[in-house]
Amino acid sequence: MLTRKAWSPYFAGIVIGLLQIPAFLLIETALGTSSSYVTVGGVVTSWIDPSILKIDYVARHVAATGKNWWQVALVFGIAVGAFLSMRLSGAKRHAVSPIWQRALGSPSPARRYAVAFLGGFILLLGARIADGCTSGHGLSGVAQLAVGSTVAVAAMFVGGIATAMLLLRRI
Amino acid sequence: MSLFLAVTVGVAMGIVFGFALEKSRVFEPGIIVGQMQLRNFIMLKIFLTAVATGAVVLAILNGFGYVKLQPKAAAYGADIVGGLLLGAGISLAGACPGTTLAQVGAGYRDALFTVAGGLFGAITFSYAQPALANTFLGQNAPKLVFTSLVGVPYWTGALVLVALIIVVLVTLETWSPWTSELGNDVDGDLPGVPSPAKRPLHARPAE
Repeated sequence: MLTRKAWSPYFAGIVIGLLQIPAFLLIETALGTSSSYVTVGGVVTSWIDPSILKIDYVARHVAATGKNWWQVALVFGIAVGAFLSMRLSGAKRHAVSPIWQRALGSPSPARRYAVAFLGGFILLLGARIADGCTSGHGLSGVAQLAVGSTVAVAAMFVGGIATAMLLLRRI
Repeated sequence: MSLFLAVTVGVAMGIVFGFALEKSRVFEPGIIVGQMQLRNFIMLKIFLTAVATGAVVLAILNGFGYVKLQPKAAAYGADIVGGLLLGAGISLAGACPGTTLAQVGAGYRDALFTVAGGLFGAITFSYAQPALANTFLGQNAPKLVFTSLVGVPYWTGALVLVALIIVVLVTLETWSPWTSELGNDVDGDLPGVPSPAKRPLHARPAE
């Protein structure tokens, strides 16, 4: 099981959905990942510009609360878990997925890195404006039948499909 | 719960989450971009399965009074503008804020740039947040849940959602089986697309 390269999406989806049990019971929060970027970004920026901690939004995110640092630990764990899973199955990856050469119409790693940086910037800018990402609004918000999250997820797919169809080439 | 315990729980949950993201291949740029180009549906299948599982879990935990729901505000301006940007970012990054960490763990180097860009985006928003808070992009809105609008208990609506999702998933899987969507190297790079550019970037001569 642990050495397989691919699980059924239905089995994996159930495993991910069950993570709501410890999230709600132990941390009293729903599964989410994008707040951790504010926590880590706020701490790193405060080394250069301590005044960022005077912004209430940042102060709330970097505070030494279980909820804040639980989420930072969660995203760190995601990288560890994916690494262990990849090592167990031997599904090694190239430096850049082969699909990008077609999607971007160029084999240049530098171009891919630039698009990845820009994509990451828009990704978190959008997630923070919406106050949640694919996990917080998507997995948790839709499961809770939250009206705002349902609107955010619909907008997310509209933005994603439009961008992939218009700006990227067919993969 | 102490900070130390919360962090320990977080790392343990993250390892399970990262394992499931890697094994399901939903962290692959080929699967995510393929979903957004409507030619690969593994991402939607995992997403809807996880939502349905979460809804069953919460119907039980909330229905028996063990936990309170934690819905976010129905801030439509922020949800729509933020959601559109988030979606555009998902296609360009080939990742979501969580899955990009799985890409880092599995060895995709470009994901490091996605994470760096993401931190930069979160910091930029942090500086802008006080100015945005009182505009149409603010979060000052009620936390609405569909079932309370209709006036029925959450668990009944959750079970209706689960039933709808099961119908969608059975239809999707019949139409496009997941094993046909994985690709040769389990990266969503599907065969049959005529292209000379099948070789990975690093295997090509320098320009």
